Amino acid sequence: MKYTPQEIENNVNVSPQSPLRTFSIALAKIAALLFIIYLVIGLLVDIIAPRISIETEKKIGALAGADLKGKKQTEQDLRLQAILDPLVQGDPALPGFNYKVYVQENDQVNALALPAGNIVVFSGLLKEVRSENEMAMILAHELGHFRHRDHLRGMGRQLILLLLVTFFSGGDTTSQRVIMPSITTMQMRFSQRQEKAADQFGLDLLNKTYGHVAGATDFFVKMSKKNDWPKFMYFFSTHPYPGSRIQALTERIQEQGYVAGKAEPLWGALIPSYAAGFSK
Amino acid sequence: MGDLIQLAVLVAIGYFVGSRIEKKHYRSIKEREKKLLCCPVVTGDDFLEDKPIRVTRLVSGSAVISTDYFKMIAGNLLNLIGGEVSVFESLLDRARREAVLRMKEEATKADIILNLRIETSTIAGRNSVEALAYGTAVYYEK
Ligand SMILES: [Zn+2]
Repeated sequence: MKYTPQEIENNVNVSPQSPLRTFSIALAKIAALLFIIYLVIGLLVDIIAPRISIETEKKIGALAGADLKGKKQTEQDLRLQAILDPLVQGDPALPGFNYKVYVQENDQVNALALPAGNIVVFSGLLKEVRSENEMAMILAHELGHFRHRDHLRGMGRQLILLLLVTFFSGGDTTSQRVIMPSITTMQMRFSQRQEKAADQFGLDLLNKTYGHVAGATDFFVKMSKKNDWPKFMYFFSTHPYPGSRIQALTERIQEQGYVAGKAEPLWGALIPSYAAGFSK
Repeated sequence: MGDLIQLAVLVAIGYFVGSRIEKKHYRSIKEREKKLLCCPVVTGDDFLEDKPIRVTRLVSGSAVISTDYFKMIAGNLLNLIGGEVSVFESLLDRARREAVLRMKEEATKADIILNLRIETSTIAGRNSVEALAYGTAVYYEK
């Protein structure tokens, strides 16, 4: 047999499609798949969350807020508790948890509603607050999250988000390490819709408890002055643009004919550095 | 978020560096294949001419080609949805052709290489592929 060597011209062993195209198509397919999963599970969470019993939520809360369990409230915590208690009594429809508020050393201007009735107020936020009514509005807002069972939804969604990120990075441990702490501290992130609903609930509860709505928008006014993010950035953030929150609150105040009233100063001992400014 | 950015940067670097290296390698492969076209390589053993044989010997060539970050991530994604994992095709193609070329380079002046076999295996935790080509080089009496 005679063999005649021949040059390879068309390489049939390598697909002609550009690898970049292959990659983009695969990425798009997976993203679409994950998006559908996210939507479906998110929907399921929305259906299931309001049906979770208070008992079950307490058990979940015991897991999530393990580091707060049995923690003794400090003097400062108890002062905030004194503002919280009348608010809790103001709404009999609130889930029957043992509502507790704790102050945590943290520069973030934020407060969290953890499962099963625990509220954490960061010291960064406390520094900004000037009146009892302003503080009450913040606490009432957090109670709104409990009333609407938002943290259960938030937890479900966060869990899915974790799953998705793990999926995307191919089980890369570094990305899990980034996500995991935010899960264990159960730092809830709510949707803008949920935040606004909590604002409305907070406003109504504030009015019910104090008979007027002094201090309702103070905190958001402060935030909008502080925050010079352009408005479109809030599209990506979980917290609504402070301006739009103030507007929604003002509209409701007018709609319901709530009385403006006069704000009570916050106890001086709450924020020692400002103690000189208030006398009570 | 920072993690995803890190991932994207690694993938981008993998793609640009990897495809440059690949293009260069293919240029070299094609050039050398043309140069070595004169020495025939066949998979059968009945290609001998009716001439006295001076010597036969085993010749082999092996090449290890590594994947890059882009191919790895793309391969992982394709693994999830199934179907052809086409991003690895060029890797195997390069390894096979390089191995055959090295074998031919070892057997310079051979009149024919019979019984060519190619084997592949993964090494370095599935990040690289090795292709081993071997056959029998035949030298006729001059
Ligand atoms: Zn909130």
